[in-house]
Amino acid sequence: MAETARRELEADVRPESLDAVHDLLEDWWTEVGEVPVRTRFGFETAVVEIAGNVVEHTRRLDGAPGRRFHLTLTADDRTLLARFEDNGLPVQVDLGTVSMASVEDEDGRGLALALAALDRLEHSVVDGKNVWELECGRG
Amino acid sequence: MIEFDVRQEEGGTVVAPRGRLTMVSARAFRETVTEVVERDGGVVVVDMSGTTFVDSSGLGALVACLKTARQAGGDLRLAAPTEQVTMVLGLTNLDRVLRPRATVDEALHG
Repeated sequence: MAETARRELEADVRPESLDAVHDLLEDWWTEVGEVPVRTRFGFETAVVEIAGNVVEHTRRLDGAPGRRFHLTLTADDRTLLARFEDNGLPVQVDLGTVSMASVEDEDGRGLALALAALDRLEHSVVDGKNVWELECGRG
Repeated sequence: MIEFDVRQEEGGTVVAPRGRLTMVSARAFRETVTEVVERDGGVVVVDMSGTTFVDSSGLGALVACLKTARQAGGDLRLAAPTEQVTMVLGLTNLDRVLRPRATVDEALHG
């Protein structure tokens, strides 16, 4: 399959936009074709966790109105890719220090879950925008 | 979107979230279970058979609800998790404390 399955979404940075991310994923999977169930659920979990992270970071840093994010999903015959860009304040993320929360904790699992499910997760700041890239082999 | 069905059974109260348990719905889930614990006490079984997706906020809510139930002298048990839910419970080791059962019946009486 040389061509790619591609979907895009632009949405407000708020919790309710997670439903739009889910809907986009569901529509995208119909065109992506066959992927092992665990790969699919892992990738889906990672995308939703990063969307949640964008919402949380923005709320914590300023919560200013007009914060938006853009999500692009692409798949070819080897790879699943997701890219988030948001116009919130640049955040400092050190993925090297992320570890899974203990079973007693009520938070601190989001990035660890995303890392566990992906082959590559990167955060960078490009032209003042937060950019997240998520990649996973089709398995 | 999510809906919570709550029903009394012999052995406990069953709460069934139908839909996605995420950052969007985690608070409503906690409030629902807290009400059940305050009203009924005892065992609360979360029937996950209709819960299509759980994220880290949903997992946090389940941990909080487990604490709430135990502090009130009861317990919280998961039943019939779907494939994505089983996967995230395993990745986070929460299957060790939430110990999902295969069926609601098993969770009520196990």
